[in-house]
Amino acid sequence: MTTSLALKGIRKSFDGVVVLDDAEFSGKAGEVHALLGENGAGKSSLMNVAAGLYAPEAGHVLINGQPTALSGPAEARGYGIGMVHQHFKLVMPFTVAENILLANGASAYRSGIRHIRAAIKKQSDELGFALDPDRRVNTLSVAQQQQVEIVKVLVGGAKILILDEPTAVLTDAEAEQLLATVQRLARAGTTVVLITHKLNEVKRYADSVTIMRRGRTVATVDPSTTTAAELTQLTVGETQTLPARAQSEATGTRLNVGALTCARADGSIALQEATFFVRAGEIYGIAGVSGNGQTELAEALMGAREPTNGEIWVEDLGDISRTPMSHTRIAAVGIIPADRYTFALAGSLSLADNFAVAEVGSGRYGPLGLLDRAAMQRDTTQAIGEYDVQGVRSVKQKAALLSGGNAQKLVIAREFSRHPSVVVAHSPSRGLDARACNAVHQRLLSARDRGAAVVLISEDLDEVLSLSDRIGVMTRGRIVSEFSRPADRQAIGRAMVDHA
Amino acid sequence: MIAFLTNWLAGAPSNAVPYALAALGLIISERSGVLNLTAEGLMLVGALAGIGTCLTLGGYPEVALIVAAVAASVVSLLFAGLVVILRVNQVIAGLSVVFFCQGLTGLIGTITNWQNKQVVGLGRLAIWPLSEIPVIGRIFFEQDAVVYLTVVIFFLVNWWLSSTMMGLRTRSVGENPAAADAAGISVTWYRVMAIVFGSSLIGLAGGYISVVNVKLWVTGMTGGRGWIAVALVVFARWAPWPALFGALLFGCIEAIIPHIAAAGIRVPQYLMMMTPYLATIAVMMWVGATQRGGTNEPGALGQPHVREERS
Amino acid sequence: MHDVSALNPQARASAKPAPNRLRLVLDVRQSLPAWKQGLFIAGSLVVGLAISVAVLAVAGISPIELGGELIAVFNADSLRAVLVQAAPLMLVGLAASLAFRIGFWNLGLEGQMLFGGIFATAISVYQIGPPQTRLLLMGLASAVGGALWCLLAGFLKIRFRVNEIIATLLLNYVAMYFLFHLLYGAWQDARSAFPQSTPYQPYERLWDIGFGINSGLIVAIVAIIVAGWLVHFSRLGFYMRVVNANRSMARVVGIPIQPVMLWTVAISGACAGIAGFVNVASQEGRLTQSFANGYVFSGVLIAFLSRNDPIVVAVVGFLIAVLFIMGQTLQVFYQIPFTMVQMIEAIIVMSVASSEFFIRHRIHLIR
Repeated sequence: MTTSLALKGIRKSFDGVVVLDDAEFSGKAGEVHALLGENGAGKSSLMNVAAGLYAPEAGHVLINGQPTALSGPAEARGYGIGMVHQHFKLVMPFTVAENILLANGASAYRSGIRHIRAAIKKQSDELGFALDPDRRVNTLSVAQQQQVEIVKVLVGGAKILILDEPTAVLTDAEAEQLLATVQRLARAGTTVVLITHKLNEVKRYADSVTIMRRGRTVATVDPSTTTAAELTQLTVGETQTLPARAQSEATGTRLNVGALTCARADGSIALQEATFFVRAGEIYGIAGVSGNGQTELAEALMGAREPTNGEIWVEDLGDISRTPMSHTRIAAVGIIPADRYTFALAGSLSLADNFAVAEVGSGRYGPLGLLDRAAMQRDTTQAIGEYDVQGVRSVKQKAALLSGGNAQKLVIAREFSRHPSVVVAHSPSRGLDARACNAVHQRLLSARDRGAAVVLISEDLDEVLSLSDRIGVMTRGRIVSEFSRPADRQAIGRAMVDHA
Repeated sequence: MIAFLTNWLAGAPSNAVPYALAALGLIISERSGVLNLTAEGLMLVGALAGIGTCLTLGGYPEVALIVAAVAASVVSLLFAGLVVILRVNQVIAGLSVVFFCQGLTGLIGTITNWQNKQVVGLGRLAIWPLSEIPVIGRIFFEQDAVVYLTVVIFFLVNWWLSSTMMGLRTRSVGENPAAADAAGISVTWYRVMAIVFGSSLIGLAGGYISVVNVKLWVTGMTGGRGWIAVALVVFARWAPWPALFGALLFGCIEAIIPHIAAAGIRVPQYLMMMTPYLATIAVMMWVGATQRGGTNEPGALGQPHVREERS
Repeated sequence: MHDVSALNPQARASAKPAPNRLRLVLDVRQSLPAWKQGLFIAGSLVVGLAISVAVLAVAGISPIELGGELIAVFNADSLRAVLVQAAPLMLVGLAASLAFRIGFWNLGLEGQMLFGGIFATAISVYQIGPPQTRLLLMGLASAVGGALWCLLAGFLKIRFRVNEIIATLLLNYVAMYFLFHLLYGAWQDARSAFPQSTPYQPYERLWDIGFGINSGLIVAIVAIIVAGWLVHFSRLGFYMRVVNANRSMARVVGIPIQPVMLWTVAISGACAGIAGFVNVASQEGRLTQSFANGYVFSGVLIAFLSRNDPIVVAVVGFLIAVLFIMGQTLQVFYQIPFTMVQMIEAIIVMSVASSEFFIRHRIHLIR
């Protein structure tokens, strides 16, 4: 097998922040080569260099042994490199055929569409996909959209296929199907690069694995002869101690969501009479792949979206689903949203402003006419110390300068400082490295130990399994089945698919 | 009554043309993702260039219209440079270009002494024998050449947007420039091209007002039509044919004003002059009230594109 | 695998290695120290002014003559005119910057000035209130008039999602025609053929208070101080900042977004209305048809250069007043139309806006 794609000594930084430092990679034709590392290790960035999206400051890219200087994604494609990104590069209102035609340019539209339809049919059949070329991409499921991306690069003649965290948006069953398919592709001669942070995928499907940490390549090993523990050690650099969990001492119902119905902006139904309850002192995990209403549920609980029907009942507050935001509600319901910079933090405001913002209305920081900035800064400094937020030179610095993990700690500091009786956490460890992840989990567990009712919505089934006392599986806007600890992963996987 | 209707509606297409062409020009650049507020300024550039050509050449309105289109395209390069290359906030850039053009045309118009000089304009083309049909004949088949040309332009642009590769690429740049970029399409080139191409139509609209409608130049003569065109783009939900319909609506409104006074109906003069602006606001209110679900707005409208933005 | 090279023969042909090519790369900066930002902005101002001087040179005014006019501005008479002109400019700059602070593009400054003048004149025409309080009532009425006209656009945005850029600009035209309706009709001065109202009574005027300073300037400075305190020290100012930085977050943390918006819009309109009052009560002495010309973009320019800070608005407002007076001089002595001032303002905004590109991005060559 020949080395088809090699990157040597790659260095890349953004505005002084180094993301790739002497990174290396070497992939051969006919193999599935995994690129393993935790969030922030530089895996996507390294492959973005290979795909022509990032220009490296130093180092070489060699394709089939030839050094090349890629001027952009078009040139990379000319060399046979096709990348399927985490955030799909699809034009939503266009049809499947138009999207694929866009990337595989032609000079005439009508004849181009005809050719591409035939090409799509042929490629989909070979892969076992069932794609209708004339459907609009925004009507497809996430798994199907991913299929469009794969067909797009293969129709373009890709011999080197790079997949960036492809199973993050798939159910267990869909993930198996996809990985088996790419394994077949590899056997037929394609080079497959699989970017992932999941060890089980590496062990099951990869012929070779390169591990990255903090922008550097740490090792390249054969997964069949390396244990999971060794792989973890290489990935994280230290052994991880799982947070200690006490037995749940749940008491009465604290949160009750009854027949909640929500619609999206375009009119489609996101939540279809979703019903579940959470007791004080327990963690209720909601499992399911994204796109089944989790975002809308989180937004409704946050108060960012008004449901069309149903109720959200909180002990001592009553039904809060349609009442305007009040100070008591904000104090009682702590929110850790998935998108920090959409609902939790304002990047351009200072840390002190971000921390104090929810309390200003209650008069804690001065009357209408005069804001007590000093008090805001004092409270923020205290909270930063208590919750171990790093990277802070001054509480007056902009929040956007914090790293992902520290920004999340700031959010938690703000929400927990009011000792909420309900905590809603939506994908709380998204984009965080192992240590930050651990810290977040630790906080959620201690909130539950102090008697809060915690709702954990996450697409990461491992996270849900490790933290939850009870698990609800969410499909198509409803909770379709519930499980208690210890939960059977297979049964959960079946529940996700059965109702699809 | 019939005579009143016929006279009124026969004048409407001529008043509608500037709105239609300007709105279409804006739609082209907005479909590529660039929020374009420059119509009011570029129409003035076209208007002045048109009159200037007529006065210099002593006639030739057709040449004047072409010069108007080209002049606006040239000035639009300033806007294109600001928003596509320098990634300046598109609202600020658009407003600046409008006021720049207002100042520039005012200055040149005064220095060259082109103000208030009459030109010949275009005659009406009667499509015989259809123009002999009572009522309809005069309204639809006895208009000047640019009216007919406008309809042709709408067909061409609509076909270009929906059924050609260039149109597909332009639209992709407006919906998801990251996807277009990954597909190897030059976001910069397509946006600049859309701006320049669209601006030629805006310039033509301005030239039509000065050379064909009013037949002279006065400082600031577009009187807010450019802003109405911007509103029409929203009303048309960024699609060509609804924009033409909206333009006709406004053409009818503009056309009726002189006829009401002539018909002896006593309405305060200046309150009448408010009608086009109030009508535009009413139309925008209607659009906002009836909007269900998502808008048709191009996905990336108003956002500059940088490839290596670290996500 | 289907071979699509037939569709695009160029794709394969261009895939040639070129290891020695230079590539221009654009990068987004996280932050830049304030002094460097100031340097870029100052540099762009210089470029903008240089271009303006060049344009004027082409129009027939040499830089030397221009320099002479600039110096002449600072003699006693011209300076008095500058100070009189600074008051309404500061007020519209304030109006614009307050609205821009929450992302509301208030371009209706002229219309709001007109209604400010109209409401103030109404107090005079209908002789509301005793003479001692007349001036104060006119001032308050002008604030109300401007606020209402701006709130109309704000209401259209909140209730009907009408884009305020278009709404406020169109309302300018509506206000203008309403003014004409009054000036050529009910309120026209019977003794004059021009569209203007009867002159105000002496106690309805803003007079100089010595040292050539007009009381209108005092009004403007008081407004600046109040606005500065509002923006930097009050709760509303804090809420404005949060709403502008992240509206979704503001909603979730309980900030009353709509009241914040409406109050800001009202205050912005009120400032513009008062600017109208200052103009008609000091310079004009009656309601005329063109006392609001050129203020929309001037307001935008002042707000933009001041980064929406009320205190800086005072300084920039003064500088633009200098520009205005020079423009008037050029018009009178060199026959350059006053719209030239607008053009220079546009050039300055464009060049300062361009500097943002260098502040926000880093360009470098690779390999």
